[in-house]
Amino acid sequence: MSKNFLEIKDVTFEASKVNKVHNVSFNIEKEGDIICLLGPSGIGKTTILRSIAGLTNIRSGEIILKNKILSSEKVHVEPENRNISLSFQDNCLFPHYNVLKNIEFGAERNKKKKQTISTEEIIKFLNLEKIKDKFPHQISAGEAQRAALARSLVTKPDLLLLDEPLSNVDQSFKEEIQVKLKQILTEHKITTIIVTHDSYEAFYLGTKCGIILDEQLKQFDDPYNVYHFPNSVEVVKFLNRGILIPAKVTGENSLESVDLGKVTGNFIKHYPKGSEVQLLLQPEDLEHDDQSNLKLEVVDRKFRGTNFIYTLKTVGNKLIPVFVHSHHIHQHQVDEKFGIKRPINIDHIVCF
Amino acid sequence: MEIKNFNIWYISSFLISVAVAIPILTICAGFFENTSNYYSILKDTFLFDYINHSLILLMGVLFLTFIIGVGTAYLVSFYNFPGSNFFKWALILSFAVPPYIYAYSLTAFFENYGTAFSILTNVFGEGEYNKHIPKMDGMFGAIISLSFSLFGYVYILTRASFHYQSQNLIDLGKNLGFSKNKSFFKIILPSARPAIVAGLSLVAMETLSDFGTVDFFNVSTLTTGIYNAWISFDDLSLANRLSFFLLIFILGLFVLENFSRKKAQYHSPTKSGFKSKTLIKLDRSKSTLAIIFCSFIFFASFIFPVLQMLYWTIIFPKHFNDLNIVSLFINTGILVLLASTVLITFAFISNYGNRVTKSKLLEALTTFSISGYAIPGVILAVAFISFVAWFDNTVVQYFGFKTIKTIFIGSILGLISVYFVRFYSLACNGIKSGYLKINYSIDESAYLLGYSKFKTFKNIHFPYLRNSILLIGLIIAIEIIKELPITLIMRPFNFETFATTAYIYASQDLLEAAAVPSLFLILITSTFILITSRYTLRD
Repeated sequence: MSKNFLEIKDVTFEASKVNKVHNVSFNIEKEGDIICLLGPSGIGKTTILRSIAGLTNIRSGEIILKNKILSSEKVHVEPENRNISLSFQDNCLFPHYNVLKNIEFGAERNKKKKQTISTEEIIKFLNLEKIKDKFPHQISAGEAQRAALARSLVTKPDLLLLDEPLSNVDQSFKEEIQVKLKQILTEHKITTIIVTHDSYEAFYLGTKCGIILDEQLKQFDDPYNVYHFPNSVEVVKFLNRGILIPAKVTGENSLESVDLGKVTGNFIKHYPKGSEVQLLLQPEDLEHDDQSNLKLEVVDRKFRGTNFIYTLKTVGNKLIPVFVHSHHIHQHQVDEKFGIKRPINIDHIVCF
Repeated sequence: MEIKNFNIWYISSFLISVAVAIPILTICAGFFENTSNYYSILKDTFLFDYINHSLILLMGVLFLTFIIGVGTAYLVSFYNFPGSNFFKWALILSFAVPPYIYAYSLTAFFENYGTAFSILTNVFGEGEYNKHIPKMDGMFGAIISLSFSLFGYVYILTRASFHYQSQNLIDLGKNLGFSKNKSFFKIILPSARPAIVAGLSLVAMETLSDFGTVDFFNVSTLTTGIYNAWISFDDLSLANRLSFFLLIFILGLFVLENFSRKKAQYHSPTKSGFKSKTLIKLDRSKSTLAIIFCSFIFFASFIFPVLQMLYWTIIFPKHFNDLNIVSLFINTGILVLLASTVLITFAFISNYGNRVTKSKLLEALTTFSISGYAIPGVILAVAFISFVAWFDNTVVQYFGFKTIKTIFIGSILGLISVYFVRFYSLACNGIKSGYLKINYSIDESAYLLGYSKFKTFKNIHFPYLRNSILLIGLIIAIEIIKELPITLIMRPFNFETFATTAYIYASQDLLEAAAVPSLFLILITSTFILITSRYTLRD
């Protein structure tokens, strides 16, 4: 008997000829874990959720929840018999019932369970008091999404699946809801798989993150590792937080780049001296220093509130992003020279 | 790869569609059967007349309904004039008057020594008025009767399309420097084209299906030809063969209508970008013209036949006293209740089966089976009888069972069965359009909350579609109360409805006696139409 709460064993998920993900394997080890799946639109993330929920058949492999096979080539447990709740991206509230009744529909399923989340509790928790008597067409998309989330949560499912749960929620409200969502999932030990576009959301909510690219699960790891130790060029490109520049390994802890000169740090993977590699450079790896003799040309500057992102052009015509705190006094204009602090030391060096 | 369920829903939906399709298949099969010599005689003599008359009738009715339907819809949708809100719903009351009853009124009013003559005599004294009163009979009378009773199809669909035309579209015309006339012909009319074509297609189908009016005016069309082939010559095969010709003709229109409706989705209103129109206030002279036009249409299509029937009912109270109104009410009520219950129940099962199984075969079969609405009632009744006769002669007799003809022919069961085929598309499409508003993920949400398919049907779909069901029930009721040829052919002996009673009196030239059932028929259907308009004319 397996110790894993959920096992996805070599499953090929397929919604159509163009929408499929091959040979996916991952486990949720213990109850209450939260998994976030990240990937570009149309890659098959929703198909994975639908298949786990039983709404779509799987092509091959096995889905096992609490040691019970839910889907395989031969077995298909109907969705209504899985005790898995899926909150759809387009909320799908029942249009002819008000918000309260919609949530109560969810509560009905598990009224015999001892540890259910009460309807009142969830309404208060997700700030739905003011809209509980309204019908779906009378509320905003964000409110509807919270109501759908509430309906899913009150079912106290064995597994909760959330498809872009906060995509319509106002930016100002999003962080508050994220905190509350994490709190309620953790408190009630609700095992959850969340599909999202927002990597910050995934990194905050997830105990593990999966990156789906090119019809495959490319990486499945802790959020920290996914960000700092991406396992492929595709993951780097998808997370879009750095660039790759050519470099040559010069020692145990150093390499030499035409664009930046000497770079030191700890390699996460061993490369023999003299190896030609692609060095991953993330925006926070470089520091600004006007006194430095390494000057790069500013080609763009984005103001992001707390920081600026400068895009700098190297001698090798590479465009490198650099974060600078926005309180920084010296604001550089486009075409000006921008100093990079030397020696460049990166805590963990990722190369491909 | 969605879940395919070959389950009870699939089987039920499949069987319903097959049952509805049987009479249609019978007609197609009938084309290849041997007929009596009458066919060769008919081919050389009346067949051309049948086709010719059908075409003239069709063209005349289409032309008039286009002018009346689009004209009135345009006035009430774009302009504000005294009474415009009243005319919006009053004009649909024309649906309450079946073409054959309109024909009785028209004849009664314009005939020699008819109502027009009486009015003139009362106002101006004795005189030779008959030669000055135009005669509304024959083909002309049929075109007028059908146009004033059927223009409502064009009016309702065009008005809905005009209503949903965004102000942005009209502003765009102004921005491009178009005059009002140019805006109408270049922007407003083309964007309502699919709705107008859809309305005209329905008018065309009804015209070709009509039996009561053309029979009354002695206009020989394909429909009367079919009826005569069966009744006068007792040649079911010939009736089937003529039906096949008409069916091909009607299916052509059906395809056209479907094609047009598909295009209509490009004009469907969207929430975003829709800006409701500001109605243009007409000046006094134009207001007067608009009021005169709309009043004339309202008067001619509804008030005139009602007054004519009322006039006769009042001056010939004997017919009112002779008629067993209660029995007619009960008979009509039974048919309405049974037919709408059966139709809605089966349409629900079939739609839900299609939804749950997502089978393309099932969907294609349903689409084919609902084409029954395009087939004239006479043809369906004949086809049904042909099928029952064939089934009885081959299958039932082969197994040595008792004949089933008496169960299905001249019985309520047979009558409801043919109503079922004829009006199945109304129920099926009505529920389908209700279902289209329910996103499929609503069902999936219910499954994921632990609801079985039946519970989802009961707790989610049924309450949501309650209003649609009521509306469909009302529309079916209106159609069945007005329906004539199927009831006439299939009804049990001595079982009369308002429609058949009116027809029988009219066919015996007792128009004043036909007035009472006709008046009741109009009043009942008007009431239903007014209730229905709450849903259909909601702005």
